[in-house]
Amino acid sequence: MSSLRLLAVSWWLQFKMIMRSPFDGFGNVIYPLFFATTAFFVFRAGDSPRTLIYASFGAAVMGMWSSVSTSAGSAMQRERWWGTLELLVTTPRHFSLILLPTTLGLATVGIYNLAATLLWGRFLFGVHLTIEHPLLFALAVAGTVLSFAGLGFLFAVSFVRFRAAWVLGNFFEYPVWLICGFLVPLALLPGWVHPISWALAPTWGMSAIRESALGGSPLPELGACLGLGIGYVVLGVLVTDRVLRAARESGSLSLT
Amino acid sequence: MAAIEAADLRRTYKTHTGTFRRKAKEIEAVRGISFSVEPGELFGLLGPNGAGKTTTIKMLITLLIPTSGSARVLGLDVVRQAREVRRRIGYVFGGERGVYERLSGYDNLRYFAELYGVPAREQKGRIEELLELVGLKGREHERAEGYSRGMKQRLHVARGLLHDPEVLFLDEPTIGLDPVGAREVRATIASLTEAGKTVLLTTHYMFEADALCDRIAVISKGSIVAEGTPLDLKRGVAQGSVVEIEVYGVADEAVERVRALGGVVAVAIEEREQAQVLVVQTEPEVELTQAILGHLNGSDVGRISRREPTLEDAYVALVSE
Amino acid sequence: MIVAARIFFVGGLTSFRALFYWLTPWIYIPTMLVAPLFQILLFAYIGRSAGLQSDKFYLIGNALQYSSIPCLFAMAQSIGGERFQETLSAILVSPAARIPLFFGRSLPVVLNGALVAAFSLGVGSLMLGVHLPASALAPLALVILIAAFSCTGIGLVNAAISLRVRENAVLSNVIFGFLLIFTGANVPLDALPGWMSTAAQGMPFTHAIAAARKLADGAGLEDVGTLVGAELLVGAIYGVAGFLLLRWFETLSRRHASLERS
Repeated sequence: MSSLRLLAVSWWLQFKMIMRSPFDGFGNVIYPLFFATTAFFVFRAGDSPRTLIYASFGAAVMGMWSSVSTSAGSAMQRERWWGTLELLVTTPRHFSLILLPTTLGLATVGIYNLAATLLWGRFLFGVHLTIEHPLLFALAVAGTVLSFAGLGFLFAVSFVRFRAAWVLGNFFEYPVWLICGFLVPLALLPGWVHPISWALAPTWGMSAIRESALGGSPLPELGACLGLGIGYVVLGVLVTDRVLRAARESGSLSLT
Repeated sequence: MAAIEAADLRRTYKTHTGTFRRKAKEIEAVRGISFSVEPGELFGLLGPNGAGKTTTIKMLITLLIPTSGSARVLGLDVVRQAREVRRRIGYVFGGERGVYERLSGYDNLRYFAELYGVPAREQKGRIEELLELVGLKGREHERAEGYSRGMKQRLHVARGLLHDPEVLFLDEPTIGLDPVGAREVRATIASLTEAGKTVLLTTHYMFEADALCDRIAVISKGSIVAEGTPLDLKRGVAQGSVVEIEVYGVADEAVERVRALGGVVAVAIEEREQAQVLVVQTEPEVELTQAILGHLNGSDVGRISRREPTLEDAYVALVSE
Repeated sequence: MIVAARIFFVGGLTSFRALFYWLTPWIYIPTMLVAPLFQILLFAYIGRSAGLQSDKFYLIGNALQYSSIPCLFAMAQSIGGERFQETLSAILVSPAARIPLFFGRSLPVVLNGALVAAFSLGVGSLMLGVHLPASALAPLALVILIAAFSCTGIGLVNAAISLRVRENAVLSNVIFGFLLIFTGANVPLDALPGWMSTAAQGMPFTHAIAAARKLADGAGLEDVGTLVGAELLVGAIYGVAGFLLLRWFETLSRRHASLERS
């Protein structure tokens, strides 16, 4: 149970740190709103109001993904820059318990993005949304946040060898927006893309959120989303052990 | 059982030179270091920058895997039993980094208390106690980015003590601190061994090692060149004498010629305000003042004095070989 | 992606001061060559999803708009570089050296921006199967160049501000975002509220994108003359504004004894 407590306390403190940086906090919410605005304009000029509602949720989840993909990949780099990476490694806990809260904190900021986008759509574009199953909706959002955290964690440990880790993180922003069904239904994408989409938790999280809002049952999608999220974490843990061992051998845990 | 044991530790780094045609180079940072520290001792690793102190300490605290050799802390192998070692040791390093600037000092300690598994009900008390000990009480809820260097350093020390480790590793803990701040940190360090902890300290300040340590190992270029109590090391140089000559601008070749004189143990140049001081250690029973002055012909010479060697001189002699 | 610029400014600027850091293939290819293609694909498919416009519309809009990344990015890098800051004070004092120097600094930025736009336009047209008339290629190249010039102008303004303001990353994002919405890159100007389409006239890319779309539909260079001229004017105004800002900041900093942002 101390692991759970560690995760909770670390998550809370990481979240505090993120919100205190204008770049990671506020700036993180503003940036995707530009894309959301563009999307609203595009879909508003289109035919049906239903499409606009569809787009609202898509744009909102775009924002959620943005807050993770931007910064998660360079999480370890930041700790190294601050000089805290070494200190974290010398603690007796498994490193994944320490890193996961960071990406969880980033993913939590995504909830602000979600809310901001939906409110933006409501007040600036007159998109009236009703959420049919609020409780399931909340669950879907939570599940999406968790799986995003898992994927972000995988990014964080995988990109650590890459000097400019932030490049790789950014690199995954647009593609996920494109193929996970946020603003573009999967049916419109070429067939060979579909398996890739299905292997990505964001696809299922998006689907779960929409379903619960529009009155369907999100549970199967939520299950897939969380299942993939857990898979990412497991993979990440395996990579962590290898990465840390390599770092201890090469001496790359500190800047000098 | 020794608290810390290093057996022929070696560490080689591979680096690359050049940007276009990258060549691999191997640097031996630590070349076979062995020593042991008894429980309750304050042991100093003394050496100039780049001597290998930090590399050595990092191997002991499980951050670096030795290229060869082994080390044990409290009987546990640092490579194979890393997690057990980490539970029982604290690590403090000098400088401005290593602190979460956006969090308050209190939150920083809270975070690490959790990471070190300090039981929940003890955390508050322990944190308060440590804040008191390091003199940060009253400022703990400010963000760490507003702390002075000395305050960050003291926060480091508090952090290192959160889980009440048996062995504490301090890597240049007073570097960059003003004299008052440094004195406070040293006082805290001295009190640690009184509490029964084992402390390994690295530093390049001779007087710090002399004042604090029970035993010192002098490191130069990756190897230990001397080991013993401060008294032992002083005795090692007590025989000879030191001639100090004030000069106003001295040419490098002149210094080399002095260094090459028979009977000269070491030559160092100190910068003091307007002039430089040539500090020449000589072997016992030799009188070299005239010979030295001869080689300094052409430079303006001020005061000349002769004195007993200090530990500082011993250190200079050891590390400049 | 502007996100690259975000991280660059915040975490990177101090540690990655080497002038041509971003020229390494590991950064250049993903950020300058691959990312714009994804942006083009994203909006082309969004367009298909909404049943609006054509692939060509989004291809041209986004290929040009994305070149704001290299222009903003490289310009700030160039101005923010330490070496430049040392010489900056010296340069700003002597009138003769100023203009050629800034021209020299801006030229590679403009060229790189144009290159990025041309690349993504070319490759994007292949990916989407959009046909661009052969006769349009040379005029398009000219328009792309002018667009890059124009955006480098606003890049100069951005870079000047970044000398004084600490958290400049947010500003760069905001500029990119505005360029995404206002310039007609993805939303036709007539679909925007009146005040927005008016504001768009004063932004880089608006005229160039319109010109490029006309050229791609078979118009000749003479048909887009006014648009091209307008874009040049916009770019020149921003360029001069940026230059004046730099001079003003330099005067300010001489009073406060530091050109570095505090």
